[in-house]
Amino acid sequence: GVCHSGSSASISPYPVASSSVTPTLTMSPFATSMNLLYCLLSPHLSNFASKVLICRNYKGDVDMSEIDHFMPLLMQHEEEGLLCPVMSHGNVHFMWIKHSNLYLVATTNKNSNASLVYAFLYKLVEVFTEYFKELEEESIQDNFVVVYELLDELMDFGFPQTTDSKILQEYITQEGAKLEVAKSKVPTTVTNAVSWRSEGIKYKKNEVFIDVIESINVLVNANGSVMSSDIVGSIKLKTMLSGMPELRLGLNDRVLFGLTGRDKGKTVMMEDVKFHQCVRLSRFESDRTISFIPPDGESELMSYRINTHVKPLIWIESVIEKFSHSRVEIMVKAKGQFKKQSVANNVEVRVPVPSDADSPKFKTSTGNAKYVPEKNLVVWTIKSFPGGKEFLMRAHFGLPSVENEEAESKPPITVKFEIPYFTVSGIQVRYMKIIEKSGYQALPWVRYITQSGDYQLRTNV
Amino acid sequence: MPYLGGEETVRELRRALSNPNVQSDPLRYRNTILKVIRTMSQGVDVSGLFSEMVKACATVDVVQKKLVYVFLCSYATLNPELSLLVINTLRKDCQDPNPMVRSLALRNMTNLRLPSLVEYVEQPLTAGLRDRAACVRRVAVLGWAKLHNLHPSSEIDAAVVNELYSLLRDPDPVVMVNCLRALEEILKEEGGIAINKPITHHLLNRLKECDIWGQSEVLRVLQRYRPQSEDELFDILSLLDSFLVSPHPPVMAATLSLFLSISSNLPVISLAALERVSGPLLAACGSGSREMRFAAVCHIQLLLRSVPGLLGPHYKRFFCGYAEPAYIKERKMQVLVELVNDENVAMILDELKGYCTDVNTDTAQAAISAIGRIGRSYSDRCLQILTGLLGLKQDHITSAVVQTMRDLVWVCPQCSDTVCLALDGCEETLQDIQGRQALLWLLGVYGERISTAPYTLEVLIDRVRSEASLGIKMELLTATMRLFLCRPAETQDMLGRLLHYCIEEETDMCVRDQALLYYRLLHCGIEKTREVLQGRRSDPSLGVLIGRPAKPVSQWARCFNTLEPLSQGAVEAESDSRGSPEHVTYNSKPNADLSDTLSCSHIEEVHSGSDSAMRCSDSSTNVLASSIAAPLSLSLSPAVSPEDFEHLWLQRQALHTERGNEMEGYIEN
Repeated sequence: GVCHSGSSASISPYPVASSSVTPTLTMSPFATSMNLLYCLLSPHLSNFASKVLICRNYKGDVDMSEIDHFMPLLMQHEEEGLLCPVMSHGNVHFMWIKHSNLYLVATTNKNSNASLVYAFLYKLVEVFTEYFKELEEESIQDNFVVVYELLDELMDFGFPQTTDSKILQEYITQEGAKLEVAKSKVPTTVTNAVSWRSEGIKYKKNEVFIDVIESINVLVNANGSVMSSDIVGSIKLKTMLSGMPELRLGLNDRVLFGLTGRDKGKTVMMEDVKFHQCVRLSRFESDRTISFIPPDGESELMSYRINTHVKPLIWIESVIEKFSHSRVEIMVKAKGQFKKQSVANNVEVRVPVPSDADSPKFKTSTGNAKYVPEKNLVVWTIKSFPGGKEFLMRAHFGLPSVENEEAESKPPITVKFEIPYFTVSGIQVRYMKIIEKSGYQALPWVRYITQSGDYQLRTNV
Repeated sequence: MPYLGGEETVRELRRALSNPNVQSDPLRYRNTILKVIRTMSQGVDVSGLFSEMVKACATVDVVQKKLVYVFLCSYATLNPELSLLVINTLRKDCQDPNPMVRSLALRNMTNLRLPSLVEYVEQPLTAGLRDRAACVRRVAVLGWAKLHNLHPSSEIDAAVVNELYSLLRDPDPVVMVNCLRALEEILKEEGGIAINKPITHHLLNRLKECDIWGQSEVLRVLQRYRPQSEDELFDILSLLDSFLVSPHPPVMAATLSLFLSISSNLPVISLAALERVSGPLLAACGSGSREMRFAAVCHIQLLLRSVPGLLGPHYKRFFCGYAEPAYIKERKMQVLVELVNDENVAMILDELKGYCTDVNTDTAQAAISAIGRIGRSYSDRCLQILTGLLGLKQDHITSAVVQTMRDLVWVCPQCSDTVCLALDGCEETLQDIQGRQALLWLLGVYGERISTAPYTLEVLIDRVRSEASLGIKMELLTATMRLFLCRPAETQDMLGRLLHYCIEEETDMCVRDQALLYYRLLHCGIEKTREVLQGRRSDPSLGVLIGRPAKPVSQWARCFNTLEPLSQGAVEAESDSRGSPEHVTYNSKPNADLSDTLSCSHIEEVHSGSDSAMRCSDSSTNVLASSIAAPLSLSLSPAVSPEDFEHLWLQRQALHTERGNEMEGYIEN
């Protein structure tokens, strides 16, 4: 259900949506064809009163005070169970996302392009997070000068401008005692051919660190069948190279065939492959070489998703028996379904228990089990879990004779783990060539890791 | 926002700003200004510091400048006179050797939004278009759009427009895209920038240089282009193919929109494009951002209208995650209903069954109603699940199940036997109005097959005095009347009591009128009553429903990639699911109310308009007819929204005056 509380007629029938975005960290609107306001609101937990932290009216065609309707609207929708990422008040639409304790709200009075607005709001979160580590009320308040500066560069008149954080850094005069520096600094990338890398970078020791990280998402039904599974992979770089180096990355062919869609029979199909803008796509399309001039420091070179049936690396069988008014008995078996040579580290199996359970007792064949009453969970931790092994955990809880009347949700069992030196998809870095005109020698380092993403197993109880 | 001690703070800040010791120490000066901005962003009105802040603008410190500009842009419109003082500093900054300072000054000059400054801004803006730094040109280009926005009626110099057109060839892609945006704004009256062949080809060739924001903009503007030949069309399509499968949902969606608009008369191409985007769209459904996921699912719903079978094999992608928000779950369930086929129906129903017991009652009810929808094609399996759910004896579940069954029997009368058996005992669990209304309707219509029907009604009739809901009373009247027709012996007495209560004691006019209507109807004889009350039934020959007919792409292509699908789809599916016209009354959608209320005014119109005996008898049948069409049409219970009410009121007032005038004229004659 969506916002049809008397304002349903407010979507203006503009035949063509503008693609400018209107986030409300309450800022002013961006976009010629759409008016954007951004707001960062922070709700006060105690009474739901909220305040606007930052507001930027980019275009001026939505009144700044419109944002005052946002929180009441949000609460009203929440109460009616119609919460939705688009809400309307009169002819103003609020598109919002929530990040920790903040709401980022874009406002527009046009029938704008929704996914673009959300993409921009998430871009904001990304940029702010890179600047402040944590994006939250405190960091905004402590840094609001930088926030204003960023908002100025990110969007003008409601249109996204520079959103690459590497480039943004050059425009932003960080607050502090850098008076002189701030005055004379000219962004080098303004005239540069390579917008994501400045000239004149120097390192004593030239190195590149490559991290290949794969996360596994699995959803297993209560009867043990895998409902969905996919792999989300990412290749991250930490570049510490001087000058303007030219890099070439070779991956194993199996994966590359998949990438280009040739030979679909034998290989996994990658969908949703994204490259950093530095990668020359034409080159990749013609001969499948990933060649690029890397951004300095940390960056994500590419990401991909493989939608395939993966054998869940850690398999869980559970029996949860609830004897009303007396006790709950839980038996969980965990099995490592990966190669014997590999070891999963820091495995955590999180088993839900009823909220009114008490007096826990545990027995484990390895590792530690702990009751976390505030989350209604038993967390079974296994520091090191070799492939092919099987472990058991039993738990026993008492239940009060007067039971909780409210219906309880049935959360799934979730599992966290990481397996180093291993990728599920089989992706491998064959080589990394580094060429710079000064001819220095540079070392590439590669690490592989597979970790749990959204890893859920539904239970019977 | 109220802020205690605001005035005191402002006074203190003013003292500090005008203190020469502070002014001479750059760091202290900057920190004081910082305090002003901080106070401002806390919602305190600091506009009183305007003149002090204008002075602070003349500085070499870029940070201080930026801070002051933030202040000035917020309050300039309140102080147009004083703002003139800033313009000289700003104009000087436009000549600064540092391109950052130049772009900053130019941007803020246009952000002041002061019409009185226009004459001072034009010259620096013109110079800005030719600046050697791209960041200045970017700002200057948009500056012209802002200027136009201040004076939408005034013409912008043709030379500037020409210059903007030529800047489409600027080496910087952002300048190029900003030119598009500015021209769209400036030439809004003429329908936006002229999209001809050379411009289109130029933009297409440079698409790869743009970031995703720029690409989306270009693709949107190009929707207006019509290729001159089929060859050209295909060239464009193949050039855009890689954007169609872009991993960035906004770009992919914008490309699809463009595909659909330029190949609108080649349905084969449109369908091929839809198939091509199904991969990226599915990927977007698994996006890490819930809002993106939501947008993707909503757009998939649009696609499914035209290509219902498109994503059948991928139904598992629409299974809901435990932690997903209710608004996504609801949409995913709507998609699942569309994707059901013989192969996957068991899996989908099994999954939906799991959602029926979700702690979020809205999700649970949406799941139940989804099962009901599937029941139109797979009745037995669905009824089995629905009946099973009644065993849980949870009020919100029972309510949703009974409503779903009511909707199901309307379209699939063959289900009624199972439904009648299942209803036994539900009344004990039902709490909410909608659920009880649904049960009453079923008892009225299928009363002869539900042995306990009279007892259930009797309990309610005995309690009618304490019944708060208007809807329940109305439904109770109708149900008792209907039951009386098929089981008179058991019902006669309680019907008498109910009618007596409603006519003699009930204070609500709607209920009274309805009761009176039934009372008089009974006087007309049992046959007449039967004709009226049982007149409208669904067609028993209705068979199993299979799918919906595919709709043409053109029906939704225009709203693809806008806000509309996000707020629209749910409403549509919802009203679809309410199969029987009789139930429209219970629907709390404002438009349904409006039409009901309007039909009510129709009745009155008939009454007041009757001026001859002949027409009078006509009108009495009309009254009946309209009350049959919507037996509860006198009910205003699902509140009309204030706007609707006002609208209706004014409309009727106008009608009355009109009629009054007519009458006067008549009398005079």
